[in-house]
Amino acid sequence: MKKISYIFGFILILVFFIAPQLHLFFIPKFSDFTVIFVNENTIKAIQNTLAISLSVSWFCLFLAVPLAWLLTRTDLPNKINFRSWFCLPYTIPPFVGAIGWIILANPTSGILSLWLNQALGIKLNIYSFGGLVWVETSFLFTFMLLSTLAVLDKMDSSLEEAARLSGAGPARVFTDITLPLLKPAIIKGFILSFLATASSFGVPALIGGPARLYMLTTQIYSFQRAGTSNGLQMAIAISAVLGITTLVLLYSSQLFWGVSKNYTVAGKTPRPSLLPLKKYKYPVVFVLSLLLFVIFILPLLGILLSALSPVQGSWSLSQLNLNNFIRVLFQTEETLRAILQSFELAFGAALFCTLFSFIFNYFIYRTKFVGRTFAAVAISLPFSTPGTVLALAFIISFSQGIFGVGPSLYSTLWLLAIAYIVKYCSLSFKVLGDAYQQIHPTLEEAAKISGANWRQVMTTIYWPLLKPALMASGFLVFMPVLSELTMTILLTGPGLETIGTLIFQLQEYSDMGGGGASVLSCVVVFFVLILNFALKTFSKGRYGL
Amino acid sequence: MSQVIFENVGKEYVAGAWAVRNFSLHIHNAEFVSFLGPSGCGKTTTLRMIAGLEENTHGIIRFDQDIVSDPEHNKFLNPEKRNVGMVFQSYAVWPHMNVFENVAYPLKLKNIPKEKIKNDVAEILKIVELSGLEKRKPHELSGGQQQRVALARGLVMRPRILLLDEPLSNLDAKLREKMRKDIRKIQQDFKLTMVYVTHDQTEAFQMSDRVVVMNKGNMEQVGTPDEIQRHPVNEFVRDFIS
Repeated sequence: MKKISYIFGFILILVFFIAPQLHLFFIPKFSDFTVIFVNENTIKAIQNTLAISLSVSWFCLFLAVPLAWLLTRTDLPNKINFRSWFCLPYTIPPFVGAIGWIILANPTSGILSLWLNQALGIKLNIYSFGGLVWVETSFLFTFMLLSTLAVLDKMDSSLEEAARLSGAGPARVFTDITLPLLKPAIIKGFILSFLATASSFGVPALIGGPARLYMLTTQIYSFQRAGTSNGLQMAIAISAVLGITTLVLLYSSQLFWGVSKNYTVAGKTPRPSLLPLKKYKYPVVFVLSLLLFVIFILPLLGILLSALSPVQGSWSLSQLNLNNFIRVLFQTEETLRAILQSFELAFGAALFCTLFSFIFNYFIYRTKFVGRTFAAVAISLPFSTPGTVLALAFIISFSQGIFGVGPSLYSTLWLLAIAYIVKYCSLSFKVLGDAYQQIHPTLEEAAKISGANWRQVMTTIYWPLLKPALMASGFLVFMPVLSELTMTILLTGPGLETIGTLIFQLQEYSDMGGGGASVLSCVVVFFVLILNFALKTFSKGRYGL
Repeated sequence: MSQVIFENVGKEYVAGAWAVRNFSLHIHNAEFVSFLGPSGCGKTTTLRMIAGLEENTHGIIRFDQDIVSDPEHNKFLNPEKRNVGMVFQSYAVWPHMNVFENVAYPLKLKNIPKEKIKNDVAEILKIVELSGLEKRKPHELSGGQQQRVALARGLVMRPRILLLDEPLSNLDAKLREKMRKDIRKIQQDFKLTMVYVTHDQTEAFQMSDRVVVMNKGNMEQVGTPDEIQRHPVNEFVRDFIS
């Protein structure tokens, strides 16, 4: 029973997690690659991708590292609140932010553009290199923030105190002790934000499109949309390059820089001595509040204003009403379908990922089955593969049945479900894996001695003990799937709307004047914040932001 | 070496919640004083106030004639200006530096010439019996060796006062016995003013010139190990040392 389940799970992993990507990487012939590197557009897209991703990573570093330090090492008032607010952008899909910033700062009718132009003569244009970098940074700095906060929380603060007593002032302690100890976390955050930018789709499509700034992901999308076999071939070749580069970058960084190595002191409760900010206290609070307002609150306010405005571009507080909401939510047929389908898919993916991780993590941490380490790596792999690449891999692998077996999955909800499960299973797998490691093996042994078989061990010992982690796993998969755009936009077909694709369509083509995208963005933000709050509350702060 | 004088020192976190209260004590030059008490009694907080890692809210702390903390007159000397050495319970040996770099760090900050740093570090490493391990990284050292690196780092700066916060609690019994003797010998050789925090009465009575017994932020009794063992002033002290 145990063994059969393992073999079955292992086959699922091979067929759905590994094979499609391998298939994609081996399709292009050498000549296809040479075509990419002589094509003017793709070269430009490669250059853009590198320049934008590098800029974003550097900005994330300069924003997040000092912020993490202020939030953990000083007597900043209201630290806990500041901390959760600054982490929140992590949960919100960046394309929602892009829509917010388009409303605020598009060159013709943006609220901020008009106002700044009138007041100070500054011309603001979000459709630009700077605009794209800004919007990406305002969400992706959370990658760097979370990875440095995790280390600062665990770092024994007597390391820093010892330096102060040796005669180093606060600035010197930061450069001599804190920064070197943070190095692995900073490198990890840098690579994550680089890869997240390079594989993002929504923001470059909405902001880079009008600016004629194409990145690799948007280039793949337009080649695939072209529908020609030549276009598809180009899309596949670019995807292979992007996918392989990502993998190489991620795994070589772990090898060379020891990214997984962290200097922390285990088993003791560090009690950080907080640096008094003294006369800088209120200036710092002011700057952080302003930063938070500009990064997070302002674009959301932009969306809200647009959703409530009957005429886009003519902004007036006295005319606000709920007509857009009524029209989009109750009088448009697609909306209800999109919301229902997104919820179905999110629920299905969350349920499947959680059950699969619950059973398969047992094999990883509680058995010596052959190939279990490989399986663990295979499950985590698709999460770092760019969504665009993954989606293309599924299209070519599953269009004519599953590698030619069975009915075509293209343009079905099944293909979307598979894509979501494969992409986000890693989140669920990690949470449950960590939780398994917290459970002492003697608990299982005691159950076996009492006469329990494997199924009984799983249902009476592990399931109840893992309950909080199982709940968290469900939420963690549910939230990103609910508003997924990058993969969905390539895999979708007629009648297959999801919240993400509907927002994209409304924004790009059909409802420019009506604020429809803003209405749905408000709905997404509402759901995500509620879910995050629910997760945080029921897990007593262990999970959620 | 310096004396440490506490005059009615107190630390109040929020109104009515005292970590340490009414603490007055004169620690003499080259004296070994232990703060003894159960966890949460305020002994570590008092030690950290000497270092400047915690600020007292009441009273005055002086090193000889120098006022290092006087909240009433807004006087506070930052920890890096106090020239105080400290050995932490978790050792706090910097994992990204080797033994030599760890010990040399306080000297480097004083802009002492390289040649002199080398000699000073070598001399101190000999005293703590770590000669030859200069190039080792902390993760290649045992707990006892890391402890000695921390001690060397505290000694090398010729501190006015050396503070030790439960330095032996993470070592095994045999090693602990040797370290007690070594620390006491170093203290006497260097004529160091040393303040030692522990919850282990054997340790306090074996090593110290004087012991301060603390409970719930208050000083219960001050005296030589002999005095305290023979004449505990109240029920708490009698209970705690038996």
